[in-house]
Amino acid sequence: MPAAGECRKGEKEAVRTGRENTFAIETAALTKMYRNKAAVKNVDLKVREGEIYGFIGRNGAGKSTTLKMLCGLASPTGGEIQLFGGPVSDPAVRRRLGVLIEAAGLYPNMTARQNVEMKARCMGLTDERSANDVLRLTGMQDTGRKKVKRFSMGMKQRLGVALALLGNPDMLILDEPLNGLDPEGIRELRQLVLKLHEEGKTILVSSHILGELSKIATNYGIIKDGELIEQITREELEERCQDYFQIQVQDVRRAFALVQEAFPDVEAEVSDDRSIRLYGVKDGAELNQMLVENQVAVYASGFHRMDLEEYFLDRMEGGRRYV
Amino acid sequence: MYNLLRMDLYRVRKSKSVYICFGILLAATAAIFGLIWLMAVPKGQELSIRAGMLTAAEAAEFADILKGMDTLGMFRQTCLDGGSYNLIFGVWVMLFVCSDFQSGFIKNVMALCQNRWNYVGSKIMTAGIVDFCYLILHLLFTLLANRLFGNMVPYADLGDYVFYLSWAWLVTTAFAALVILICVLSRSVAAGAIGTVLFSSGIIVQMLYTLMNTFHMGNWLKYSIYLTLAMGPGEYTAWKDLHVYAVGAGFLILYSAVTGVILRRQDI
Repeated sequence: MPAAGECRKGEKEAVRTGRENTFAIETAALTKMYRNKAAVKNVDLKVREGEIYGFIGRNGAGKSTTLKMLCGLASPTGGEIQLFGGPVSDPAVRRRLGVLIEAAGLYPNMTARQNVEMKARCMGLTDERSANDVLRLTGMQDTGRKKVKRFSMGMKQRLGVALALLGNPDMLILDEPLNGLDPEGIRELRQLVLKLHEEGKTILVSSHILGELSKIATNYGIIKDGELIEQITREELEERCQDYFQIQVQDVRRAFALVQEAFPDVEAEVSDDRSIRLYGVKDGAELNQMLVENQVAVYASGFHRMDLEEYFLDRMEGGRRYV
Repeated sequence: MYNLLRMDLYRVRKSKSVYICFGILLAATAAIFGLIWLMAVPKGQELSIRAGMLTAAEAAEFADILKGMDTLGMFRQTCLDGGSYNLIFGVWVMLFVCSDFQSGFIKNVMALCQNRWNYVGSKIMTAGIVDFCYLILHLLFTLLANRLFGNMVPYADLGDYVFYLSWAWLVTTAFAALVILICVLSRSVAAGAIGTVLFSSGIIVQMLYTLMNTFHMGNWLKYSIYLTLAMGPGEYTAWKDLHVYAVGAGFLILYSAVTGVILRRQDI
């Protein structure tokens, strides 16, 4: 008979697995046309419950339009949206959603608390506890009578997140939440997002600051010219970002010939008169050893990894190796 | 819609604009009472003549301007008939609605409430409530001012106050619906302000009158909001006096419906 702790662990695992198999967001052929121009084309976006989904794309790629359609702020021209298995128009589904689209929509002549209380009333929340909770969670509880117009950009963004968190939604949609934030503000927001994720919330976040996004996202979707060109997990991204193994040697011609002979599966290219890039290398040490044993001096060697930014730019340009 | 209304009323209470606009309304009324006292009341005329503001001949000429006027007439003349009430109230409505779009708070609202008719309904109900408070408090202030200035004019019958205020409230709420329509359509404070000024001052009605009169249809405009407020009955005498309610209700429904349709078609 398993111990109680093991049972609980098993239950937790089952819940987690169950959640991961259900989609918080699922779109099918989602399309938005503005006159004759398609801003979003046949997007099949899938975000599982419990994920932090990084939504990446250039300016005008269709990120905000997609997110607005998910929030019900824009009507799709075609396709379907399912949030937690229900339609966007379902009020019960919408209450499970917290949104921060573009700039935080705040009344500048009101205080942080007044803004939160406004939205609380709109949601039909009557107790003050909800407002206190989100203000405390976002670190905005001590702003007192200070008007929003006197807030820093970071404070406004945090208050925007506080509004999104009202009613304890299961999913947050954050569109460019890092815009205009200083490094400290970015760090604070990152920590908040991770904390919310730990609490089990699903988070869909779009950002241009890809370095930051790569620190929090568990999954990625890349949109280009209105089309979702790729959806990958963090693990898949890491695998793909392991780009090439580069060696700097004294005799490039000899080294190149030796590598081709010893590792026929490895693709090699000479990048300059001292360097060779090798694609498909699994074990760098073995390759180094082979060169040294053959009296080829190796000055430097190492794996080159693309970061999310490089990978994204690579995909935007049509891709060197992945398309 | 009840939640949206609660939210809007909370904002009304917390915003300064509603108090500032009402203050302007009261200040204008007080100034008008002061001027009339100086021009038409014997004590005030004495003071004006001594200060060189009036000649004796002018004072004699102005002595009759309050003849046949009662407090309801004064109330209408000071603000409503000329369109200044609609201007001030319209500016408040414009600020109230446009700030939703300018601040972006409407995204928070619309992400929760898919039914955009609720938004329109809530805004019109809020405008109607503020309009009701403005009219009642303004009337009370007019009565108080009349008393303070030495009962310049006699009081009207209670029934006349009720009749006039009820249809004026409906017509001015219809005007608020027009301002909301302009704001939802333009989403701009500038466009909202220009629209409010043009419609409340009667410039649009006058232009339309000139145009329609060439087709002998100028008289139709007596059923416009501007002319109904200016020329509508001050007391109930016959059933045809009730047409003012039809004008108010008709425009209120029309503008609300158009606003709802526009909001449903537009993305936020």
